[in-house]
Amino acid sequence: MSISIDRRQFLMGSTALLAAAAAGVGPAMSQETRMRLIFWGGQARADRTYGVTDLYTKANPGTTFDGEFLAFADYWPKLATQTAGGNSPDVIQMDYRYIVEYANRGAIAPLDEFVGNGLNLDDFDKDQLDGGKVGGKLYGISLGANSVAIVVNQTAFEEAGIEIPNRDFSYADLPALAEQWKSKNKRAGMALWSDYSGGEPGLDNWLRQRGKPLYTADGKAGFTADDITEWFQMWADLRAAGCLVSPDDQALDATDAIENTMITLGKAPMTYANSNQLIAFQAVNQDTLTMINYPRAKPGSGGGHYRKPSMFFSLGAGSKQLPEGAKFIDFFIRDPEAGKILGVERGIPCSKAQREAIAPTLDPQSQIALDYVSNLGDLLGPLPPSPPAAAGEVGVAFKTKSQEVAFGQQSPQDAGPAFFQQATEILARAAG
Amino acid sequence: MGRAVSPSFWSQLWSRNAGGYLFLLPWFLGFFGLTLGPMISSLYLSFTNFDLLTAPDWVGPANYVRIFTSDPKFSASMRVTLFFVVFSVPLKLAFALGVALLLNRGMKGLPLYRAVFYLPSLLGASVAIAVLWRQLFAGDGVVNDALAIFGIKGPAWISNPNYSLWTLVVLSIWQFGSPMIIFLAGLRQIPVDMYEAASLDGASKWRQFWKITLPLLTPVVFFNFIIQTIEAFKSFTPAFIISGGTGNPINSTLFYTLYLYQEAFSFFRMGYASALAWILLAIVGFFTAFSFLTSKYWVHYDD
Repeated sequence: MSISIDRRQFLMGSTALLAAAAAGVGPAMSQETRMRLIFWGGQARADRTYGVTDLYTKANPGTTFDGEFLAFADYWPKLATQTAGGNSPDVIQMDYRYIVEYANRGAIAPLDEFVGNGLNLDDFDKDQLDGGKVGGKLYGISLGANSVAIVVNQTAFEEAGIEIPNRDFSYADLPALAEQWKSKNKRAGMALWSDYSGGEPGLDNWLRQRGKPLYTADGKAGFTADDITEWFQMWADLRAAGCLVSPDDQALDATDAIENTMITLGKAPMTYANSNQLIAFQAVNQDTLTMINYPRAKPGSGGGHYRKPSMFFSLGAGSKQLPEGAKFIDFFIRDPEAGKILGVERGIPCSKAQREAIAPTLDPQSQIALDYVSNLGDLLGPLPPSPPAAAGEVGVAFKTKSQEVAFGQQSPQDAGPAFFQQATEILARAAG
Repeated sequence: MGRAVSPSFWSQLWSRNAGGYLFLLPWFLGFFGLTLGPMISSLYLSFTNFDLLTAPDWVGPANYVRIFTSDPKFSASMRVTLFFVVFSVPLKLAFALGVALLLNRGMKGLPLYRAVFYLPSLLGASVAIAVLWRQLFAGDGVVNDALAIFGIKGPAWISNPNYSLWTLVVLSIWQFGSPMIIFLAGLRQIPVDMYEAASLDGASKWRQFWKITLPLLTPVVFFNFIIQTIEAFKSFTPAFIISGGTGNPINSTLFYTLYLYQEAFSFFRMGYASALAWILLAIVGFFTAFSFLTSKYWVHYDD
């Protein structure tokens, strides 16, 4: 038996060794404040963000940052895992879609006690401030206002000698424009329009123009089966009229990653996106890009767009340095120099002073984004309530259903009720 | 040390197999230190609702009931995975055996060829290869450029639901290196005098293959078959990369593992995903046991 015991002892001994080794890796004790910061985005956003943390460290010696950034899809599993492990970062970039969930579960801290006490919001846009509230308490500070927008390849339109659609353009105008495009377009393999029949923001915008929300305030579907049938039918007609890229091409854009959008792949001179993304799109496109609004559902209809808080900064509820975190957010949203580094990459700054400080320093693309969000006019409607937790899953099902229609496996008449039932079940399951 | 006087069952086991256990030690460390704990907790979690942010909530067998009674994506993803297993495994093994037979004819530079053919397996299920594959098979990728030379207009392989899964099958076949190496070793074990005797009796090469090579190779075929089937059931990375994690177009590449991943990390249903994982384990286990039971009818162990 002794050998068997030896083996067990050996196992235990080596486990202890491993544990000791792991413990030794931890940081040495030090007096300085280390803040952990996590956000989603690409390299361009990371460069700007770290520019600001460096600036903050310079102004506040002793405070340093451990930053981490991921792609949007990878961000949420990571953040949820860290939160579940009681290891959530101090400063957390938060999305409108998730803020209610995180706030209700006590994973992020209310910020009200810091307002006027480290966090100055005197000249902060009211609608953007309200967007960060859950149950009357402030849980997130908007880092910029943005709106859905269509990114347009200006060069391709100029080469064809066709005018870029103006703000009154509606879906009904697409077939006529497509006829022009077919005879004048100079780019091989470029169709006029992306197939956005599976794009949830597109549906949301279209429904709002027809006076319905995508989701009601209590997290139910705001649309009917007939609405969806009509939506799919509209796109089927556009497809039949030769306005759209092929379903095969559209399916290349599986995740809305900028590199695989129709505009970046050269399949269409436009792509549905968000206003703050113009900068990121321009970074990977050779042609000059500009921006227009989503089409009108019918001539003269409006109110589909809204000024959305593009993203927030929230503080992890478990953070041991909440006041320092609030101070950093204050610096991030108000400091003029920080604003110049950040530009409008996260959307239009919400502090009036910072917005005015950066206005003269903007490059043409950023100026377009600023003007766009500032001049939405009759296109603008109220901010909808934060979507239910299962909205992401509904969006996935919507995209798959749109492909069934586009590839001819299901008719719009069948797809409408089928999707409505799917959405209802998904929402009920998440709520139950 | 009373071992020599009255050896217990355990010490006998140990003294006979000490060397084996020593070699197994790294695996034991990994299994007990890293794998066992998560396995037990995943079994527990499979009977709960768990969204990571709030504590797990015990729901009994509800997850399993839903999977088997009212989850269309479970059956859809299981179909995709079974299709992949049924087509990729035999094709891959046939391809690996074919190349091994070619390489076994004592050609010059064999080590080089062996290394070159093995290379894709080394790169294995890596992200880089899947990304490369995505580029090759895109609508305007290299594959269609090559087809265009012959006047064939190829479809959009990865983004058309009729072809996307086949693209993944081809990717899997291309990674035939590791079964090939094992086949090659197996072929070397077959005594040459058997072929000599068969030739003298006038047996054709074809007949020799069916009557000598294949029967004597069945233990190796069996081993490769089991390993590759388990691998195919577990396959995840290529589908994840090529479909951007969505399993689209139209869920045509929604592998079972990809569905499991979505449930866990896109929709945060850790309990449900754990139940899916245990069902996969059961299916693979059942399949392996079945293979072992039937092996006596077709695997020849030549003592």
